[in-house]
Amino acid sequence: MLNQKLEMFIDDRYDDFQDNSEEHGSNKVIVRNVNVYYGDIQAIIDVSMIIKEKTVTALIGPSGCGKSTLLRCFDRMNDEITGCRTKGKIIWRGNDILDKKVDPVALRHKVGMVFQKPNPFPKSIYDNVAFGPKIHGIKGKRLDDIVENSIKQAALWEDVKDRLGESALKLSGGQQQRLCIARTLAIDPEVILFDEPCSALDPISTAKIEALIRELKKDYTIIIVTHNMQQAARISDCTAFFLMGELIEFDKTSKIFENPKDKKTEDYITGRFG
Amino acid sequence: MIRKEYIEELDKLKRDVLKMGKLAKDAASNSIKALIERDAELAKRVLNENAVIDDLEFDIENRCMKLIALQQPMAVDLRVIGTCIKIITDFDRISDVGGDIAEVVLRVGDEPFVKPLIDIPRMAEITQKMIDDCLEAFSKENIEILEDFSKRDDIVDALYDQIRRELITIMIERPKTISNASHLTFVALYLERIGDHTCNIASRIIYMVTGVKKKLG
Ligand SMILES: Nc1ncnc2c1ncn2[C@@H]1O[C@H](COP(=O)(O)OP(=O)(O)OP(=O)(O)O)[C@@H](O)[C@H]1O
Ligand SMILES: [Mg+2]
Repeated sequence: MLNQKLEMFIDDRYDDFQDNSEEHGSNKVIVRNVNVYYGDIQAIIDVSMIIKEKTVTALIGPSGCGKSTLLRCFDRMNDEITGCRTKGKIIWRGNDILDKKVDPVALRHKVGMVFQKPNPFPKSIYDNVAFGPKIHGIKGKRLDDIVENSIKQAALWEDVKDRLGESALKLSGGQQQRLCIARTLAIDPEVILFDEPCSALDPISTAKIEALIRELKKDYTIIIVTHNMQQAARISDCTAFFLMGELIEFDKTSKIFENPKDKKTEDYITGRFG
Repeated sequence: MIRKEYIEELDKLKRDVLKMGKLAKDAASNSIKALIERDAELAKRVLNENAVIDDLEFDIENRCMKLIALQQPMAVDLRVIGTCIKIITDFDRISDVGGDIAEVVLRVGDEPFVKPLIDIPRMAEITQKMIDDCLEAFSKENIEILEDFSKRDDIVDALYDQIRRELITIMIERPKTISNASHLTFVALYLERIGDHTCNIASRIIYMVTGVKKKLG
C-alpha cells in the first residue's frame, strides 16, 4: 500500500522522480522497502522514498515513530547498535549503501551527521574542525584552508576567528552547534543528516542554523529530523510524515502543510493527534 | 483530543463569520426591499447596522491574527483562517453596497422611478441567493452549490448591461430623467458588485474545502 502511495506521489508530482535508474552518477537517494528491527521490535516498516539531490527533506512525526532510526540508516550508524537489523536497499550513486560490502567508515565521509545536542570534542576550535581532514593525512596550509572555509560556511567565522586555539567547550550552545556543522563540512560530505539540530537552541541561534541549512542546500543533499513544524515548513522542500514506523505521506512541503492528502497527516500537523 | 481551546476558538470564529455573512445578506436584501417599498425607515436601519458589521469585521480580523500568531495553525486550519480573513472583507463590502442602496432610497424619496422595477429585483434575487449559497457552503463545507457561480455571475452582468443601456436611452431621450435614472443605474451597478463579491467568497470557500485556488466570475 505504501509503495502504491509512493507511486501515486511520483506520478502526479515529480516527473523527474520517475527516473528510478540506479545507474552511476545518479545522486538522488533511493530508499527501497527499508525495514529496521531492534530485536523483535520493528521500528521502520517498509519505507520507500526518493530524496532528490540538493534538496532539504524533513522527517516529521510523533516521538518514537522512527525518524532517528531511519536517519541512521543513511550513515549506517544503526550498525553500531547491537540487536539492530536493517533490510531493504538505499541506492545512492549506483550502490546500495546498506550492502555489507560498503564500508561504513568510508560512507560516513560522504554522509555527515549533526546531532540534537552539540557534541564538540574537548579540544580547540581548530582541532575540532581539523579532526576529519587530519585523519585523511591533510596538513599545513591546506588544512588551515579547509578549517577556515568550513567555519566560514557554517557562519561561525566572525565569532571565532580570533580564538581558534581556545577550547570548543567555551563556545555557547548555538556556536557549538555551528562548530559541529563546520566539523561535518570539513570532511567534505555530499549528504548531511540533521537530527533535531535546533532543539537545544534559542530563537536567534535557530534562525542562524536555518539560514545556514538553506545556504548548504546549494551544495549538499540534506535530510533533517525536526519536531518544529514551522521549521520544517520554513526550510524543507519535501516533507515525510511517519507514524509508528510507517511512511504515511511524502510530498512537497507546501502540500503537506497546506493541504495534506492523508487524514492522519492532517490530524498530526494541526495538533488534533491523539 | 488535545488543543481543545484552540479548536473551540476556531469553531467560534467560523460561527461569527457566518453571523457577519448573514448581516451582510440582510443589508443587501433589506436595502432592495426599502427601495421597492419606498421604506425610508428600513433604509435608515440598514445604514445603522453597517456600524455593527464594521465592528464585527475588526473583531474577527483580530482573532484571526491572534490565532495565527499564537497557535501557528496548519493545513485545513490555516486555510479556514485565511479564508475567514479574506471573505470578511467581501462581506463588509456587500454591507457597504447595501448602505449605498439605502442612501439612494433616502435620496429619491417618493419621486417615481423612470421605469418600473423589474430587472433590478431579478438581479437582487439572484445575488441574494448567491450570498445564501456562500453561507451554506461555508457552514456545511459543501461546495457543490457553488459550482455554477461563474454562470450566475454572467447572468447578473448581462442584466446590468441591459439595465444600463435601457437607462442611457431614457436619459438621452428625456434629459430631465437623468438624476432619477442615474440613481437606478447605480443600484444596478451595486448589485453587479455584490455578484462579484460573492464570486470572491465562493472561490475562497472552494480553497478552504479543497485546498485548490480557482478564480470564479
Ligand atoms: N537502541 C534502541 N534499542 C531498542 N529500541 C530502540 C532503540 N532506538 C530506538 N528504539 C525504538 O525504536 C522506535 C523508534 O525510535 P526513534 O528513536 O527512531 O524514534 P524518533 O522518531 O526519532 O523519536 P523522537 O522524536 O523521540 O526522537 C521507538 O519505539 C524506540 O523505542
Ligand atoms: Mg529521534
